[in-house]
Amino acid sequence: MRIEEYKDMIYACGRCEFCRGFDYNDRCPEVFTQYWESSTARGRMAIARAILEGKLEYSEDLAERVFGCFMCGRCREECKKAAQIDVIEVTKAMRQDFIDQGIKIPEAGAHMADTVTSSGNIFADPTKVHNKWSEGLEFKKGSGTLFFPGCLASHRFKEKTNILVQLLQAAGYELDFLGEDQTCCGTPYWITGKMEHSKKYAEAYLKKLQDRGVKEIITPCPSCFRAFDEEYPKLLGIEKLPIKVRHTSEVLEEIVKEEKLKLKQSVKKKITYHDPCEIGRYRDIYEPPRKVIESIPGVEFIEMSRNREHAFCCGGGGGCKIMFPDHSQKVSDERIRDFVKTDAELMATICPACEMNLTHGMYEADLEVRVLDLAELLAVSAGIISPEILEPDYFPED
Amino acid sequence: MVDIKKITSLLEDVVGPSRVTDRNFDLLPYSRDLSPSEQKMPTHVAMPETREEIQAILKIANEKNVPVYIRGGGTSHWDAYLPQESGIMLDLGRMNKIVNINDRDLVASVQPGCTWAKLDQELRKQGLTYLCSEAGGPAMTVGGSVMKAGGGPHSTAKFGFHGNQDIISLEMVLPNGDVVETGSAAWPSAGKFKRQCLGPDLAGMFIGAEGILGVCTELSLRIRPVTDISERFTATMKTLNDVIEFGHFINRHVGDEFLQGVYLWVDPSAPDVFFMMIDIFGYEREIVDHRKKKVIAKIQELGGEIGDRAPADDYFGRILTGLQDLFNTGVWHFFGSGSLRIDDITFLYRIWREEVIEKRGYTKAGFGGQILPRDWLAFMVTNYNEPEEWKELVKMADEIDEITLRGPVVPYGIGGRDGLRRFVAERDTGYYRLLKTLKKTLDPKNILQRGIYIPEEELR
Repeated sequence: MRIEEYKDMIYACGRCEFCRGFDYNDRCPEVFTQYWESSTARGRMAIARAILEGKLEYSEDLAERVFGCFMCGRCREECKKAAQIDVIEVTKAMRQDFIDQGIKIPEAGAHMADTVTSSGNIFADPTKVHNKWSEGLEFKKGSGTLFFPGCLASHRFKEKTNILVQLLQAAGYELDFLGEDQTCCGTPYWITGKMEHSKKYAEAYLKKLQDRGVKEIITPCPSCFRAFDEEYPKLLGIEKLPIKVRHTSEVLEEIVKEEKLKLKQSVKKKITYHDPCEIGRYRDIYEPPRKVIESIPGVEFIEMSRNREHAFCCGGGGGCKIMFPDHSQKVSDERIRDFVKTDAELMATICPACEMNLTHGMYEADLEVRVLDLAELLAVSAGIISPEILEPDYFPED
Repeated sequence: MVDIKKITSLLEDVVGPSRVTDRNFDLLPYSRDLSPSEQKMPTHVAMPETREEIQAILKIANEKNVPVYIRGGGTSHWDAYLPQESGIMLDLGRMNKIVNINDRDLVASVQPGCTWAKLDQELRKQGLTYLCSEAGGPAMTVGGSVMKAGGGPHSTAKFGFHGNQDIISLEMVLPNGDVVETGSAAWPSAGKFKRQCLGPDLAGMFIGAEGILGVCTELSLRIRPVTDISERFTATMKTLNDVIEFGHFINRHVGDEFLQGVYLWVDPSAPDVFFMMIDIFGYEREIVDHRKKKVIAKIQELGGEIGDRAPADDYFGRILTGLQDLFNTGVWHFFGSGSLRIDDITFLYRIWREEVIEKRGYTKAGFGGQILPRDWLAFMVTNYNEPEEWKELVKMADEIDEITLRGPVVPYGIGGRDGLRRFVAERDTGYYRLLKTLKKTLDPKNILQRGIYIPEEELR
């Protein structure tokens, strides 16, 4: 079993319940949706321990507890203090054990990984549809700096992605784009435990990028960012990917810091920021997005009560959006309640999955509020795009 | 034998299907607490949200003769809330609301699943405090804590007593479903402002009973303005007798109302070094400075050496309340612990030194305690690795408990069969007989917390 590799961590759980936190369900989105202690990190360690000791077996019923984890890392953040258990890695190993043992996992999860294998992206889009966002843009093949939008940004947020590239290009970045050669980064494999193709997939992908002369990847998607920067080296048994990988949060901060664009338009809006789990808690990228917001003239920035390492998940993590859509929606509704309390006019973030889930949350709450990528705000301020996109009645064509 | 599906169905009728589970993987996490107690599985977990739901669950339990156990944060050190027999576990996690903060009468009312940390966070927004206690982790609930007569190191350190002594009134659901309010709340037309005002102190009867006499559904407790002025320093004393003399000095010269904490730590690597961490709190700078001056003078008179506050900050902030790196060398266990007179700390120290370190060669356990007004709360504490050191540790801890409790040490937690209940039963005191009478009267079918505190056979 894969969890045997994490035996020391599993037994290190001191059952202190730091993971659940001091208000029952204000930290963990899984407890928020599934109630029981089996949804907490402490509970999961108890379950993993029972499996290791032969007192419990993986089962289809158990899948909701293991695959219903949003992998937001909130519990891991707390456990850093007491026992340093990497709850995410243990959870991934448990998911892999499900697959290895042939236990049925949520159908949508299994389907997502298979779709990546068969079609190259999580939506089974034909290439033409998948790349529609790039219409009207020109790329420089072989520039060495690859713009990698990832599946969500390509499929769901065509306008946002287009604006982002316009912004980067206006700031002087010479971007390459894989076009028809672009496929998913592979994240669905490791979040669903379907790892059988993952190593070969990563090997082939790296070769493709190296053959193209890619020296740096810039991506707006935290999952793609971490896939290339963290998962690929692990899969390939190398310390570091021979290609530099940057999330756009870092690149946008660079644009602001180095004044690569003149931010001439005032954005007179009250804006709050949602920390995406995968760049926040996973990578400690908290300040760059805030610096970007603060650089925009006219903005009144308001923090949500749960921010930075304490931020509540948007509901889109861990594959829950597709495996457990009701849970996902419930979590996103809760995050929208955090937003409402700020009295802000706009929700900003910098992750396509968060943008999608929070947008759905706004719809559900019947709020006419736009959820914008930081790049869109910056593009408005730089005069690259009309400020109409900030308005609540604006509805992008995609 | 519990008819699992039948009970599931009955519980679902009360709380709905989403708040009942009988699935083994859901039950598992409720089978352990913070202690090394053996795993004990419930048959069901139900998550009530109201007093009425608890009443209905107890009715089912009585009718079907199924024991009911209570779970707060699951951080008991004494096997005090684990299912000793197959039965229903009430997870009170969703009964976690702060019902009211009365800043005029300085009273806060909370549901039992509210944690100390949550309460304190809300109080501080109004310039008030309870002083949260996080020694059992931030999940340590007010209900679970008070029902075991605890309250944690913050309250102990700051006010010199355990948090349960701040209780004004309790709302309890008795095993027969009746609801009892204690203190001033017992008088229907009054309010929640005083503990002792109508006949016997019934709150005191429930506090420390570890839930065997009723399910707590609301607690009202004293709160106070934040005390921003504080001084912290450390001192190293040459002998334990010097520590004792210092304890008497604190007791005589500053009395029960002195806002302060004195914490002793003796590390197993240096068993002759008596390290004290001292906190002085107050509302007036002049008073705090005056007390500090007197305390330092006494320490110096006793030949102690004053040190800076950094190690105390580390201990209180990082370890005791932050739990930082706490489990790096294994999980946690307290043993050889309890309440004792100030002079009697030498008894416990000798056991630690001679029985634990010298005779058994166990050098991982430290010795410590807090000087409370007129007594000590002292303990031995260790980290150990599960599963390899588990059984050996439990055996050693049981032996030490046996020796400890033969002396002038009163256990402050009893718990179930892996706790200290056998020591209580063996003594067969009038106190214990009265407690059994109360239990039999209030809970004739022994539904609530069966096997906790009193072995089942003692009640037949």
